[in-house]
Amino acid sequence: MEFTQGFAPLEDAQVHEEAQRRRADGWRYVQMLAVNRDEGVDVIYSYMKDGALENLVVEAVPHDGKLESISDVYLESFVCENEIHDLFGIGFSGLAIDFLGNFYRLSTEKPMTIISPEQLARREKEAKAKAAAAAKAAAQTQEQNAEDMEAKLAAMDPEKAAKVRAAMEAKAAKEKKQAEADLEAKLAGMDPEKAAKVRAAMEAKAAKAEKEVR
Amino acid sequence: MGKATIIPFGPQHPVLPEPLHLDLVVEDETVIDCIPQIGFVHRGLEKLVETRDYNQFIYVAERICGICAMGHSLGYAETVEELMGVEVPRRAEYLRVIWHELSRIHSHLLWLGLAADAFGFESMFMHCWRLRERVLDIFEKTTGGRVILSVVSVGGVVRDMDRATLTWICDVLDGIKSDYDAIVKTLLTDTSIKNRTVGVGAISREKAIELSMVGPFARASDVAYDVRMFGRGAYGDLADFQPIVDAQGDCYARVKVRCLEVVQSIEIIKELASKIPEGDIAVKVKGSPVAGAQASSVLEQPRGECYYYARGNGSKYLERMRMRTPTSQNLAGMTVALKGCDLADVNMIILTIDPCISCTER
Repeated sequence: MEFTQGFAPLEDAQVHEEAQRRRADGWRYVQMLAVNRDEGVDVIYSYMKDGALENLVVEAVPHDGKLESISDVYLESFVCENEIHDLFGIGFSGLAIDFLGNFYRLSTEKPMTIISPEQLARREKEAKAKAAAAAKAAAQTQEQNAEDMEAKLAAMDPEKAAKVRAAMEAKAAKEKKQAEADLEAKLAGMDPEKAAKVRAAMEAKAAKAEKEVR
Repeated sequence: MGKATIIPFGPQHPVLPEPLHLDLVVEDETVIDCIPQIGFVHRGLEKLVETRDYNQFIYVAERICGICAMGHSLGYAETVEELMGVEVPRRAEYLRVIWHELSRIHSHLLWLGLAADAFGFESMFMHCWRLRERVLDIFEKTTGGRVILSVVSVGGVVRDMDRATLTWICDVLDGIKSDYDAIVKTLLTDTSIKNRTVGVGAISREKAIELSMVGPFARASDVAYDVRMFGRGAYGDLADFQPIVDAQGDCYARVKVRCLEVVQSIEIIKELASKIPEGDIAVKVKGSPVAGAQASSVLEQPRGECYYYARGNGSKYLERMRMRTPTSQNLAGMTVALKGCDLADVNMIILTIDPCISCTER
């Protein structure tokens, strides 16, 4: 007999029906587990038959949501269902042995849904890395677009090209002016001391950039 | 029929090495219902996976339980290897199984000693634990540790055994077996033990299947399910492997199955020691599990099938690690076995199920 394992999706409304079907087909209940995610809690049901381990994933059950208990079909699931309730806050209706949240003696409610500082820092770092990669890709696209435009203009009638260039410069200047006005409005709403600091930092940055260009 | 009374059993009880509480509903001297309660030693070890990388967590995994330490590190490593697509060298697989089967022998001998102590057979307890010490000596010589071995790594093992050591292990096991045969002969033929165990806490094959029971508890009810029969790792190179079963389903059958499994483990170790191939003992594992990738695995622990699950998040830390232990799966079977038994037999039934609460709560 060979061992195989796999994952497949399962609708939350199908949980009980699926358990009944598996029971009738001679599948053995293996376990239930939960995974906390930002979108909700994934609940995984595992069944085994003839060496085939199938994990059925109910995705993103809302935090503090409820599922139908399968403990009337597989009594032994009461352990995992009570555990998931205590550790993740997912409720189960019709539990055969319901400990009403007292299965484990816990000092914190739903401890497995707490995002640890380490996890949070890791997620923020990942988000920053993703944003930086996206910004780099956007800058590359912009640069490529500018090069394409230059090539297009070079191929144009010089008079027409000059007109297009002037229109583009005017548009860029207008956008710059608008951005400066927005920034001024923002700084005006700030604490004057803080605004002065921001202004100084921006001037220093501009001076540095100018120096680098020279 | 008398009035129903609830008698609390545990969490502190002379026959329980770990905290398990039972509310026993009794009428006269008969248990008519039982509600188990755990949760006294929940440590939140699975949560630690967020702050320990996948290599470091192996040391957390083996601290889940002192008896199943080797099995947990092995099950965890196999799951992460599945997650990352790592192929373990053949020699490492053999070494892993040799240590794992030694671990099964020490677990069963420990249990046998505790069971004998509960029978009131204290000299038997001493003999079983004396033999167990010799297994721990093997661990000490080959790994440096007696309980927490720390030999498994993601990608292989961290220690090798030379031919002389393997021969020495086989010699020690031969020595253990001759003493063990005498113990088992006494244990399985002693009238006072039979009086306490034969026909007590019986579970039929149908009920065992219905309750998805695992391990020796299920095999004693004639359920021929043992994860080792899938032939994963070095188990696939065994000439023959058949799960040890018994049809009676009572406490005596559970004692018998475990007694025979010790001999089976000795044979497995000797066969693998004679076949072990030369080669590397580990591969270097680079990179991190892919975000959202998930893998599951099962392993035959001394108490039965243990399920492992891992999910990656793109970093060296896992998003989730989960273990469903055999005792967790057998709690429902335990409540069924206790229904209808005599109050005086409760401790014997619980002991022959061999619950491991530290594993279950993690």
